[in-house]
Amino acid sequence: MRAVVIGVHLRREDIEPVAEAIPLGELFLSGAAVADDQPLGDRELLLRVAQMRARLLERATFIAIRYGFAVRSSGEAMAKCAPQIERWRRLLAQHRDDVEMTLKVAAASSQPRPERKDFSSGADYLRALHDVTRATVVEPRFREAASRMGNCRWIHRDDRSLECALLVRRDGVDRVRAAGEQLKRDFPDVPFLLSGPWPLEVFADDDHQ
Amino acid sequence: MPDQSQELSLLETLDHLLDRGVVIAGEAVISIGDVDLLYLGLNIVLANVDALIRTTERR
Repeated sequence: MRAVVIGVHLRREDIEPVAEAIPLGELFLSGAAVADDQPLGDRELLLRVAQMRARLLERATFIAIRYGFAVRSSGEAMAKCAPQIERWRRLLAQHRDDVEMTLKVAAASSQPRPERKDFSSGADYLRALHDVTRATVVEPRFREAASRMGNCRWIHRDDRSLECALLVRRDGVDRVRAAGEQLKRDFPDVPFLLSGPWPLEVFADDDHQ
Repeated sequence: MPDQSQELSLLETLDHLLDRGVVIAGEAVISIGDVDLLYLGLNIVLANVDALIRTTERR
């Protein structure tokens, strides 16, 4: 038996009985038990983990671990996560009352995707794909208005959209939703989707600092 | 039958599950390739490549 890791939590009681609590030094990982012969790509498992994730977030804020990381024991988890524990503990203590929300915005302009056949090297092709993604922009006035909704980080995800990850107090979620409605009225021609609350995802990731 | 907003919500939830959060070093989600959510599968690959390039750029 193994457990697909869902997130990192400050307290055991934030996890049980929704998920399995796996000790990790001072912290705990939440896990969904999976039989050894069950593939992690199983659709039912994916949906079960997604539901558990939502229920865990209702209880307390946690740091999300990207789907696919599985452990068989607390010792294995410790061996793989030890260098991160102190930083995670600090983040969890600091953001106990915070959640993330995501504003996904359609690009105002973007460059055409590169064609694989135009590149002799796979690495060059991937780099060109990355450059196209980085070149995506949204309407500047919209970006400015969205950035005023809270502590935000803009992320280039693909060549058609940008995302604004917002760090929001739990009691501020409704305020952000209302601000989203106002954005719809102010910018009727800019398609976007406001979603959340989510656990700490972007704001716990070194890549987005 | 789920309405459009429910489907959108599910898609967003799965997108966040598969393409957000901390990646533990050395743990790629290769096994997810069997999931018949092709858009999400593709997204994973692109996201990981993107993260890989970002990491390389920082060094």
